[in-house]
Amino acid sequence: MDRFPLHMKVNGTQMTVDVDPGMRLLDVLRDVLGLTGTKEGCGEGECGVCSVILDGKIVDSCLVLAPQVQGREIITIEGVARNGELDILQEAFLEAGAVQCGFCTPGMILAGKALLDKNSHPDRREIARAISGNLCRCTGYAKIVKAVELAAARRSGKEGATGA
Amino acid sequence: MLEGGVVGQSVQRVDGLVKVTGESYFAADEKVPAALVLKVLRSRVAHAVVKRIDISEAEKIPGVVRVFTYADIPGENSYGIMVKDQPVLTDKIRFIGDAIALVVAENPDAARKGAEAVKVETEELPPLYDVWSAMAEGAPPIHDKGNILTVGRVKKGDAAAALSRADVVISRLYRTQRVEHLYLETEAGIAYPEHNGLTIKVSTQNPHYDRRDVARVLGLPMNRVRIIQTPTGGGFGGKLDISVQCFLALAAWKLRRPVRMLYDREESFIATAKRHPFIIDYTSGANREGQLLAVKVRIIGDTGAYASYGPATLIRAAVHATGPYEVPSVDIEGLCVYTNNPFSGAMRGFGTPQMAFAFESQMDLLAQALQISPLEIRRRNILRPGSATATGQVLSDSVGIAKTLAAAWEKACQVMPGLGGENQ
Amino acid sequence: MKKHGYGIGNMWYGVGNTAAPNPSGAFVDFLDDGTVIVLSGCADIGQGSSTVLAQIAAETLGVGLENVAVIAADTEVTPDAGATSASRQTYISGNAVRFAAEKAREQVIAQAAERLNLPADNVSLKDGQIWHQDEPTGTKIQDVIAQCRSKGILTLGQGWFNPVTTKLDPLTGQGAPYATYAFATQVAEVEADTETGVIEVKRIVAAHDVGRAINPQNVEGQIEGGCIMGMGYALLEEVAVNQGRIENPALSTYLIPTALDIPEMFPVIVEDEEPSGPYGAKGVGEPALVPTAAAIANAVADALGIRLYDLPLTPEKIVAAIRAAAEESELGLNG
Repeated sequence: MDRFPLHMKVNGTQMTVDVDPGMRLLDVLRDVLGLTGTKEGCGEGECGVCSVILDGKIVDSCLVLAPQVQGREIITIEGVARNGELDILQEAFLEAGAVQCGFCTPGMILAGKALLDKNSHPDRREIARAISGNLCRCTGYAKIVKAVELAAARRSGKEGATGA
Repeated sequence: MLEGGVVGQSVQRVDGLVKVTGESYFAADEKVPAALVLKVLRSRVAHAVVKRIDISEAEKIPGVVRVFTYADIPGENSYGIMVKDQPVLTDKIRFIGDAIALVVAENPDAARKGAEAVKVETEELPPLYDVWSAMAEGAPPIHDKGNILTVGRVKKGDAAAALSRADVVISRLYRTQRVEHLYLETEAGIAYPEHNGLTIKVSTQNPHYDRRDVARVLGLPMNRVRIIQTPTGGGFGGKLDISVQCFLALAAWKLRRPVRMLYDREESFIATAKRHPFIIDYTSGANREGQLLAVKVRIIGDTGAYASYGPATLIRAAVHATGPYEVPSVDIEGLCVYTNNPFSGAMRGFGTPQMAFAFESQMDLLAQALQISPLEIRRRNILRPGSATATGQVLSDSVGIAKTLAAAWEKACQVMPGLGGENQ
Repeated sequence: MKKHGYGIGNMWYGVGNTAAPNPSGAFVDFLDDGTVIVLSGCADIGQGSSTVLAQIAAETLGVGLENVAVIAADTEVTPDAGATSASRQTYISGNAVRFAAEKAREQVIAQAAERLNLPADNVSLKDGQIWHQDEPTGTKIQDVIAQCRSKGILTLGQGWFNPVTTKLDPLTGQGAPYATYAFATQVAEVEADTETGVIEVKRIVAAHDVGRAINPQNVEGQIEGGCIMGMGYALLEEVAVNQGRIENPALSTYLIPTALDIPEMFPVIVEDEEPSGPYGAKGVGEPALVPTAAAIANAVADALGIRLYDLPLTPEKIVAAIRAAAEESELGLNG
């Protein structure tokens, strides 16, 4: 198949890459752009380790084909920290002990971010639902839920402080 | 003395930062220029002898660099942590998923097509899908030494006599299932020739063991094989065995080229160890006061086609079969049996979660029969400093079961509104 | 109808390989800027061993954790630490690192004692300083190391540890297969739906005797993760094999617990110190999961008054058992 120019915004940078239209977004990110923070766990949209944020929504990048992201905006784990400074969520994951093997971590952080960007005061059930497409075999999820709660509290604290 | 020290503190994990930023390089993230990729042709039948392998068509496929079979192994064609019974590439098939040929190619597509083009002629043998047919007289041996791999025994006192004296005897048959570890990172690694030797970077729980078996398979001294563990996305016992290591080693060493390999989820399911399914025949006897007098336990573990950690699983199951209780007389046997099923090996707990299901069910059944509470029967039997275990080991220090039982119950009474009263 | 039940699961678990040698080795290099390199073959697979080994080295050498780098699991560089299995790494590799650090420390203490004209027995290392009895001397550890180097003394240590065990008698299994055992009690609360057979685990209390928690948050993480893996084992997971073939080799057909399935968990750390362990520690990785299915099965039996003997306790099996029990009691009434 002929390659085509794919225009997209990845982690804030507008870019164009020539790719095969049959390519999965996951492979565009990992193999073309070298953004290996996005992992592959099952290739069938069941585990969520390949999660990225597409136009504000969490998606499994193994289920998205390159043409589907034409002109759209993608955030991967590499785009969460800004200027070498960790995002509140990343800090909360470290503090709450939400990281063990780390393989689900990028997807989990992005799932948490997609939630908090829309809902700044989620309850536990909402957090669990937001990360329910992301499997973790190490932590038993409890500390991941706590990390998202902690980040939510800190974010709204910060917003409150600056917004007042 | 230790106040203010770092031991006992919930410090953040030392590898945490790179894991939250996505920088952590798992094996599949390693960037290796010009690496060839590997694909294994796996058996679709469970028990057979390989008569002939024709790789000629496969090697003609564009992008296929080489196809290896059992005839290409430079050293010993066998590995295994406890028993060297598993071939890298086999000429006798023992389960659906056994590795027959290794295709080295320039890209995954060519590797897959190459594997499909390998022709294998086999002569099928009667498959043995359960431990009973595997142990039956005249069953075809899956390995040369027969199908009962190990028998582990723990015997103390006269269990039969003690059971005949017991006020209450409970006998039940328990069955547990085969389980997958399901670490989120599937097996992956890269290999390249380096310094007159070979380097393999791989997702593993067991790098020094990997070195031993890779050296054995390549016929190299151990100091020319270097294993570097990459950040490992979970293991739970499933990455204690060899998975991709010997395939990577064979291809990189013979071709003197960098190679990489990644199992997809299906291959990770099919080609790696599982938790042993157990059949447990458990008899417990206690006196009227609820004191355990004896247990008789027969355990059969289906270790499938290869030993992996099977012997360790069954002996640990036998040693722990009483649970954390003082039992004066025991008669315990654990059999580790080969079948033509997917192989079983180490998984978190090595046979003890299976046994806990049985011995803790037994405790509740005894309590019910004696009309005492589940908590009370446990209090009366738990190991304490000075207790002798089933193997006759007298425990002295750090026997914390009385404390955990008390602490768990206290906490449970606080957080479980319906608990208390009649359960005590 | 929904019925509640409660169940206890006790467990014990011998730390390390069964009745077999399983040593671990480590090297510690105490550098002249006060930082430390630990070399250990111990593979961290997410459970956190590199963090625990860093804590043990930092504690032993009296420096901050930020000064310790752990280089792990590279066979060309690190000594054999055995497998990351059998819940053995904190106990066994932890000891190896502690002993290696103690050897490096001996050199520093001897030099400090000479320099400050103090008896070595009263000298210790803490907070980056040389201490005399319970007081800091103001002398920095790194200055003493620099002095060692200037005299040609390297502050290097190697250590190894093999737990004391015996072989088991082949006929009777008698012997001492492990140097120490971890213990635990879990209590599970379930809600059983008698119509659908669905079991919901509401709460799990998990009290684990780990000897000493080197890193309590890590221990809790192990316990919570183990409980959920154990819950999957009890209720959900089974590799279906038919005629030797795995029928569900995919995440769409082999289900594990998700964030929506988890009960409230209450980890309780019990510390009954093990004298032979590093700072009293034993292990927790596997114990975390060992009693969970047992506790859940007992809770299900408590809820339903019916006991099942085959794992996993799927809704189909529960419903069938309820029906069978109902039929039996009907027969009993009629007969």
